[in-house]
Amino acid sequence: MTLVARCYGRLLDALMLVAQLLLLAMTVMIGADVLLRNVGGGGLPWSNEVSEYILYLVTLLSAPWLLRRGQHIRVDILLRALPKRLAYGFEWLADLGGFACALYFVVYGWRVAQASYAAGAITLKTLVLPEWWMLAVLPLAFLLVAIEFLFRMHRLAGSPLGPRADAVSAS
Amino acid sequence: MGSSWQIAALVLLGGSTVLLFVGLPVALSFVAINILGAMLYLGGDAGLLQVVRNSAVSVMNFSLTPIPLFILMGELLFHTGLALKVIEGIERLIRHVPGRLAVIAVIAGTVFSAISGSTIATTAMLGSLLLPVMLARGYHPSFATGPIMAIGAVDMLIPPSALTVLLGSLSGISISKLLIGGVVPGLILSLAFIAYIIATALRRPHLAPPAPPQGQAEAGGWRLMMVYVLPLISIFVVVVGAMSGGWATPTESAALGAIATLLLALAYRALTLAALRAALGGTVAITGMILFIILGATTFSQILSFSGATDGLVSAILGQGLSAFAVVTGMMLLLILLGIFVDQVSMMLITLPVFMPLVAKLAIDPIWFGVLFLICMQLGLLLPPHGLLIMTMRGVSPPEVSMADIFRAVVPYVIMSLLLLLLLLLLPAVATWLPNRLIG
Repeated sequence: MTLVARCYGRLLDALMLVAQLLLLAMTVMIGADVLLRNVGGGGLPWSNEVSEYILYLVTLLSAPWLLRRGQHIRVDILLRALPKRLAYGFEWLADLGGFACALYFVVYGWRVAQASYAAGAITLKTLVLPEWWMLAVLPLAFLLVAIEFLFRMHRLAGSPLGPRADAVSAS
Repeated sequence: MGSSWQIAALVLLGGSTVLLFVGLPVALSFVAINILGAMLYLGGDAGLLQVVRNSAVSVMNFSLTPIPLFILMGELLFHTGLALKVIEGIERLIRHVPGRLAVIAVIAGTVFSAISGSTIATTAMLGSLLLPVMLARGYHPSFATGPIMAIGAVDMLIPPSALTVLLGSLSGISISKLLIGGVVPGLILSLAFIAYIIATALRRPHLAPPAPPQGQAEAGGWRLMMVYVLPLISIFVVVVGAMSGGWATPTESAALGAIATLLLALAYRALTLAALRAALGGTVAITGMILFIILGATTFSQILSFSGATDGLVSAILGQGLSAFAVVTGMMLLLILLGIFVDQVSMMLITLPVFMPLVAKLAIDPIWFGVLFLICMQLGLLLPPHGLLIMTMRGVSPPEVSMADIFRAVVPYVIMSLLLLLLLLLLPAVATWLPNRLIG
């Protein structure tokens, strides 16, 4: 199990690295667009649209990694005030609930992507792309989130009673 | 039994609150309540499919792009060590001021706020660098930790600020005007903090013993000022100037700011591969935390509206015959209360679907309202026991600093922030004058 968890962790690290590279590319691309437009080079008309796709991909690619690191924000004020045994019970409840929500996105996300593929839907902006290309990433990312919830529960089973030290805010 | 909108409001708002407190990640708490809401109010299966579609589209939103870019600026300055030069430069210039190190924390924090979009980066940097020096020089922990936390919160008011962009994007308030609207209130708070520190250091010198004279010549300070501080502040000029000049959108000015930061780091030979990777890693983590919540919560306001809860709540509030001022005051009190328990992104997602229709119906100036909202969120960062900056400070403090010290330290700054809120409630021009003058 430890080996499987470690290999899975590597996969999540690799996806995180892709997200970082995409973000760097987005920064350079928007900068180049502004620069080119202001020196009369016409700019990069597709840059706004590609930035939007990158934001979406960065969010989904980092989501399972953030879950592994306990960095998805949550409110722990009640968990910390409760007796440890009860807080531990709530941790299980939260993990099961999170797993169910991730599965919902896997199943319904897959149905949405499949319907879009069957209908041959395309996005008509500056770029013309099959819509399912982006839609299909959603259920795949949530499948990884769901699997991470299983690892999370396995780790919880082996940890002492009490709440975890997850992130409580971002800014 | 109440009417149907009351039940809807109870199920949706009450349900999401319960799920938040159980410890489910915020994003998934909203997903769970959206699933329930879609089954009840959006036509079952069709609604469930719609929620997924909305989620996919929610973060493909160009107005959100400044968020990672602003955060990247702060992370780059932090990980390349350039931020440290700002502190050094300022430290050498004000050598005779009482409570000098605390004043430096405020000034350096204000300057760093103006070039960083990340609150965590500001507080973590100032806390890890200045706090050990302050304690070594005999500052009392209840005096030393206060300005570091307080100035971290001001970071949210002074542009560039990632959470301001999110507030603008979710509320429909002009992002440029909101960013610029935070400048004057942010500076007022910084000045109030400095005045308080100097007055306290003079009145109770045991809290901040005068620093021993140092051998450093002030000329060294001017050199650092010219070589590091001024060029870095020019990034602020690029970001705010490009926006207020009207030739760049918030996204474009954020990208210019991020690239200017990258280029300056390159010019100072501070941009190592390790620093770049650390900065990108921090940026993706914070961006992912924020955007994942947006992705999970996106249909919440729509379901709230479809269920009749939004209209019901808005009509019930308007039906009380309260003045616009009373309604705004009530909204701010609710935000401060929420800030004690939940994070800033959740605060926005829970309240904006009801607050914004009220703002429109009562013809309240959205910029004024947005800046008041920002100050309440800033207060949320400072309020015990859960405020982000209190937690960050606990994380970077040595063990001799107790939680009681940190709580005591933050109280005067919370009071000053509340006074600023009061000033803005009575004098909206403090927030609206600059954006109206610059952008019109």
